[in-house]
Amino acid sequence: MRKFVFFGGKGGVGKTTISSAYAVKCARAGIRTLLVSTDPAHSTRDVFDQTFTDDPSPVDGEKNLDAMEIDPETEVREHLMETKRAMGDQVSPAMVNEIDRQLEMAHQTPGAHESALFDRFIDVMRSSDDYDRVVFDTSPTGGTLRLLSLPVHLDGWIQRLLHKRKQSVKLFERAAIGNNEPRRMMDGDPIIARLEQRRDDFTFAKETLQADAAFFLVVNPDELSIRETKRAVEQLDSYGLDVRGLAVNRLTPEPDPDEEGRGATFLRNRVETERERLRELREDLSPPLVAAIETRVAEVKGDFLGEVADELDVEIELKIT
Amino acid sequence: MTLAARIESFRKLAAEWLRGLYHGMISHPAYEKIETQAEDHEDAFMLACFPDAFGIPSPVSYYTAELLPFLEDEFEAWERRMWDRGSLLERKGHQYHF
Repeated sequence: MRKFVFFGGKGGVGKTTISSAYAVKCARAGIRTLLVSTDPAHSTRDVFDQTFTDDPSPVDGEKNLDAMEIDPETEVREHLMETKRAMGDQVSPAMVNEIDRQLEMAHQTPGAHESALFDRFIDVMRSSDDYDRVVFDTSPTGGTLRLLSLPVHLDGWIQRLLHKRKQSVKLFERAAIGNNEPRRMMDGDPIIARLEQRRDDFTFAKETLQADAAFFLVVNPDELSIRETKRAVEQLDSYGLDVRGLAVNRLTPEPDPDEEGRGATFLRNRVETERERLRELREDLSPPLVAAIETRVAEVKGDFLGEVADELDVEIELKIT
Repeated sequence: MTLAARIESFRKLAAEWLRGLYHGMISHPAYEKIETQAEDHEDAFMLACFPDAFGIPSPVSYYTAELLPFLEDEFEAWERRMWDRGSLLERKGHQYHF
């Protein structure tokens, strides 16, 4: 199994349960594991009955497991503060207002949360030497897919900006003949340095995601969830990402054969349709089903987690490379 | 004054005039042209960085925002150039001396 494992899927299908169970399973097998939650709703704290912060902290009662929760809102705010601080050092008071408006606007754009999350992802992936496995519990499908497609799209954009900037600086240098000081210089240009750093980040993310990450999609046995999963698999494939399997959650338990009555008939009918859907999943989609987990009566917490973990037929061994 | 000295001083004068003529006719407009060309490239760069200033959403505005503190001069100059530009043609027209 690869080092970075992502769990994704439609909202409310039980991603947190499955990813927590997987993390617990890895930890109990003696692998140093970090569980990262990126869902703003943060249900990890409910699963483990414990609060987590932005920094990895040990999970009570699990020896090899740490967990952290990333809040995109906080990340965006921090980025804004940092940029404003840089502005205070660089910009003359007359221009501050003008630029301030532009800054605030940039942090309100739809992509801001995703970009902030993405930066943190890169951070976590870069500084994960303490762990043998990092499990990401991601936000619902749409957001995650956009997030993972970021390096592919942004890489091209940043390259273009870099190219334009270099072109103009080169011309400014040429225009300064004789003893004239060029208006911009290639050496030590903070813009080029920044853009290059960003480009390196994106390249790192792209390579790591393609070479060292595995993806699992959590599905419920209902029409909508299955359709969304199909789309997700296609998209992930097209980004060159490795979808290892599907985990089906919330299957209806089958009643005993001697049971009659409305409840039992209802359950039997449901099981029948779900079986049909499972068959559809197996036949239409290439990633194999790695888990089929029945609905639990109570919320999955503490001890239950171990039970769910046992049902996960996902390989946990570290690949020694 | 000997003939040699007179020729010498004449040559100096001619060299100076020629240099001035060359500077005025060829090289000076050339610097200017290169500089305006550079400015044009910079405008394109700024536009690609901050299209949301014109209401066009940009996929990377979150990232380009952190460039702003270092782009003070460029930003101001860019805005000024945007103001007094009637059309792209007008600005390009300035670059040629008819």
